[in-house]
Amino acid sequence: MRLHPLTSLAAAGSTAVITTAAASWPLSLTVIAAAAGLSVAGGVARRMLPVVAVILAPLVLSLLAMHGLFFPEGTTVLAQWGPARVTVEGLHFALQRAAQLSAAVLVLLLCSFTISVPDLVAALSARGVHARFAFVLASTLTLLPAISSRLGRIRQAQEARGLVIMPGIVGRAGAFRWQAVPLVLSLVEDAGTRSAALQARGFGSTGHRTSYRAVQDSPVQRWVRLVLVLAAVAAIAARLWQPTAGAS
Amino acid sequence: MSSPSLTLPSPATARNRRLLETLGALAIAGTYIYLVLNQPADITGGPGSASALIALSGFLIGAVLLIIGVLPTLPVSTLVLIPVALVLNIVLGQFVGSTLVPFYLDAIGTVLIAVLAGPAAGAATGALSSIVWSFFNPTVLPFAAGAALIGFLAGVAARHGLFRRFYLAPVAGFLAGIIGGVVSAPVAAFVFGGTSGLATGAIVSAFRSMGDTLLAAITKQALISDPMDKAIVFTLVAVLVYALPRRTRLQFPFVRRYRVLAGTAISRPTGGSTGKSTGQDA
Repeated sequence: MRLHPLTSLAAAGSTAVITTAAASWPLSLTVIAAAAGLSVAGGVARRMLPVVAVILAPLVLSLLAMHGLFFPEGTTVLAQWGPARVTVEGLHFALQRAAQLSAAVLVLLLCSFTISVPDLVAALSARGVHARFAFVLASTLTLLPAISSRLGRIRQAQEARGLVIMPGIVGRAGAFRWQAVPLVLSLVEDAGTRSAALQARGFGSTGHRTSYRAVQDSPVQRWVRLVLVLAAVAAIAARLWQPTAGAS
Repeated sequence: MSSPSLTLPSPATARNRRLLETLGALAIAGTYIYLVLNQPADITGGPGSASALIALSGFLIGAVLLIIGVLPTLPVSTLVLIPVALVLNIVLGQFVGSTLVPFYLDAIGTVLIAVLAGPAAGAATGALSSIVWSFFNPTVLPFAAGAALIGFLAGVAARHGLFRRFYLAPVAGFLAGIIGGVVSAPVAAFVFGGTSGLATGAIVSAFRSMGDTLLAAITKQALISDPMDKAIVFTLVAVLVYALPRRTRLQFPFVRRYRVLAGTAISRPTGGSTGKSTGQDA
């Protein structure tokens, strides 16, 4: 049976919260391995890999360079060049934080890559979460590829009219104006048309709504969601109760 | 005799929404004050995950309360612009975010909405932007409160006429960036233990090598990057807004009511237009 979108959202969210709260090496690495395994099993690994690399590579490199080289609180010095000191504590802090963040990022990305957006929107509207939030979410996710391609077409059109991107900040700012003004102009115009169409179809009204799309749900999944949310809250409470417990 | 209105909100719901907005703002302010007061004990002793959790939950709850309070009150013409703003934020911010420039430029859409539709719409757009963007990049989720603050401040600047003079827009951006950067610094420090970009990371490293604590170093980095970043963003938005045709600009009630832009004075029916008509679009 397919997972209800809110169940996978709850699973990802509470895993991220619990990993952050636990702050332990073995758990972070287990979560990373599990997320990697699930992405391969779900067949999304190939699409996820570039996104993960773009997000995590600068983050991890930046953490390693920042704390690996400069950690004034560190005492065990491994190497020193001028002001830069490689300390055990700094490397430990950087790696620990990198593992923790990678685990959270991987789990949340796995969720957003496997979730079905139309199902999520239908589930959100059915739960009484404002139809407006669902509209913003769905509309953004569907507009994004369309607008990226429109930006490409605008650039081609302006290049055909003789736009050359000059080197340097002034040239780039000029090129930005030539591309951004037509883009924003057409988007604002489109939004005006869409607003009239939506208003004519009763979007602004507050009455009860029905949905064409029925999302499967089961009592078991409802219980699982409740348990997941409670587990996340319990993890936060436990960590606040004992701020330094289990800190390695 | 008087049946309840089907379209207008009752006074009780309006009061509830005002309460939600206030609670959201209080949650964000309270979280920030708590984090700044409690930081020295935490960051070097252990992984500091208690502070990370407080920063995450406090700022996120505040942002979500703001969204719940503001979103139902927005007119549909503003609401359909929010996805457009989000896409602009993402398309432009994704590109700049992790490159070798210590700027982000991830608020152009948010500031655009704030100038056209006001502080409440700006705050909601900022918070929504972070939440929706986290579907592609979960690392922006904790910055929802900072983004909401920038949207709110941009709207306040627009209401007080700082976009009427072209040279005042970067000044307003600079000031908004100082406030936004200082509020976002604890998130970067406690949730990420640093920054997510390479160039911003290099600036933090420079301050760390002088012996600053992590929060102090990141706050200083934010005070270098954010005001410049927001000054650029506010200027770009001013360029964009003045490039829009007059008809499009004037379709927004906020722009007409507070005379946000130069040359958008409404001619009064009693005769005699207020202000010079300087609205050439060339």
